[in-house]
Amino acid sequence: MATTEKIMISVQDLRKSYSGKAAVDGISFTVKKGEIFGILGPNGAGKTTTLEMLEALRPIDAGAATIDGVDVASNPYTIRSMIGVQPQTPAFQDKTKLSELIELFAAAYGERVNVKQFLDDVHLGEKANAYVEQLSGGQKQRFSIAAALVHNPKVFFLDEPTTGLDPQARRNLWDLVREVRDRGITVVLTTHYMDEAEVLCDRVAIMDQGKIIALDPPHTLIKQLLGRGFKKQQKVEQANLEDVFIDLTGKELVK
Amino acid sequence: MTKNSWRRRLYTVATFAKLNTRRYFRDRTAIFFTVAFPLIFLFIFGGLFGKGGSVSFKVAILDQSHSAFSTDFVRQLSTNKAFKIDTGVATMDQANNDMNHGSLDATIVLPSGFGDVQARASHPSGQAMVYYTQNNAEAAQTLTSVLQAIFGDINTKLVKTETPFTVASKRTGVAGLTQFDYTFSGLVGFSILGLGIFGPVNTFPEMKKQGVLRRFHTTPIRVWQFFTANVISQALIGLVTMVVMFGVAIAVFHLKVVGSYPELAVFIIFSIAMIFGIGLAAGGWAQNERQAAPLVNIITFPMMFLSGTFFPRFLMPQWLQHITNYLPLTPVVDGVRQIATEGKGLLELGPQLGIMAIWLVIIYAIAFRVFRWE
Repeated sequence: MATTEKIMISVQDLRKSYSGKAAVDGISFTVKKGEIFGILGPNGAGKTTTLEMLEALRPIDAGAATIDGVDVASNPYTIRSMIGVQPQTPAFQDKTKLSELIELFAAAYGERVNVKQFLDDVHLGEKANAYVEQLSGGQKQRFSIAAALVHNPKVFFLDEPTTGLDPQARRNLWDLVREVRDRGITVVLTTHYMDEAEVLCDRVAIMDQGKIIALDPPHTLIKQLLGRGFKKQQKVEQANLEDVFIDLTGKELVK
Repeated sequence: MTKNSWRRRLYTVATFAKLNTRRYFRDRTAIFFTVAFPLIFLFIFGGLFGKGGSVSFKVAILDQSHSAFSTDFVRQLSTNKAFKIDTGVATMDQANNDMNHGSLDATIVLPSGFGDVQARASHPSGQAMVYYTQNNAEAAQTLTSVLQAIFGDINTKLVKTETPFTVASKRTGVAGLTQFDYTFSGLVGFSILGLGIFGPVNTFPEMKKQGVLRRFHTTPIRVWQFFTANVISQALIGLVTMVVMFGVAIAVFHLKVVGSYPELAVFIIFSIAMIFGIGLAAGGWAQNERQAAPLVNIITFPMMFLSGTFFPRFLMPQWLQHITNYLPLTPVVDGVRQIATEGKGLLELGPQLGIMAIWLVIIYAIAFRVFRWE
């Protein structure tokens, strides 16, 4: 783990309500530099709202959030230049080549990049003149993440990145997220897949009805549960159906 | 704000404008609507109104005399550009019928004996009759004076008289406005309207649906940067459209551009920026196409019909002209006509530019307020 003790994100008593109903109800947590931090919870728990407040896309009702010491509410543009965001369904404007999209995204941050070098680094160099719709699923994921990180952000946010993906694509994305973390970028993601949180995240916050009800590394949470005398009803098999599926269809996506 | 950060912000604008424009010219549908569509209208309306602009009456000539003089006279009339002679009309009944239908403006009758040399006279004489219906009094009057002029010429050749007073007419430098000139400036206005409004109103909600705009929202790009980039690319695209339209109008319909091209270009760019703001506001506000479509119809229909795009405004009642003066598109259509065909300069277009500037401020104030990234 590349985790250091440096605090990258600090959230204190964050609140957001829509027409009187609290969507995020006073949550506090910190994310360390170089961590993959997961926010878990059922639909409507407030995961996306939390993320959007940290991304300076949604006004913060009360409480405070800082990223690398910068207050989110009062410096939205500074925050946006410090973070990369992978949307739930990555979409790019049509009739624009990959090289042009990279130029465009860099320009959105006021930056110029060596587009060719950049695409070579993410192994998409020979696709520079292609359009997004001509990419394979795996290439599309790689490109989307590369585009979101074109400005070397400190934090990378992903909102339910694997919802609706097939098992191969999910695993491919996990690998890509780990690569991002290995570059020293702090990763914050939301998910409602427990297996994803378990294999990917260094620490998870479990949200329900706008509150954080647990916050620890996945294995600590499991140990705590077992410590409370929890026993699983069924005998655990050494493989599950997903492993069968992956084994039969091949783990690797077409890269 | 440091100089460097401003340079970065303008780099953002320039790059977005450049890539926007490039993307636009890859879109065949968009090119059809911005270049080909106005041209189709140009050919339709140019074909309707573009006959060189000279007034031309449809008349029938009934030669009941068949004298040498009358035959010659009919031949002389048929070369006259003021008439179009309908040779299919042979009888007075038929002529009356056609005049009642409006397919004929007037009938010239050369009665029997017209052009014969009367006893004890040295030259031929006679009286031509012009028949017309109540609706065509004006046509008949013009026709009568044209005939009078022709007879005047003939008379002076036949009978030597002194003419103490004469009148001569001479064409002045400025060409009069033809029907096509009116139509053309209207079509320019129509294309600017289509270009500026239908474009963003279709693409913005589409880009919101795909989440493309939301993605930009997560970057530090400001709304003004995004707007400016769009205005620049729109102006470039618009200029291309205008070059094509003017080119075709000059080559095919003999449009005479009297004014200066640079001033025309400046005026058109200003017009595009102003009208495009309406599209930015509507498309920027709408979350989907269903919201955008009715809004756009409400905004564009009055301008399409009342700003002088298809129907000249001087045909409207006075009170309506006063109101439609202040529509955003009216000064655009008027300005284009005054520069292109009347040769006026930008400095003479104060009222038009004033109205447009006020609209520009109002429109962009609204556009910035209602813009949504998703």
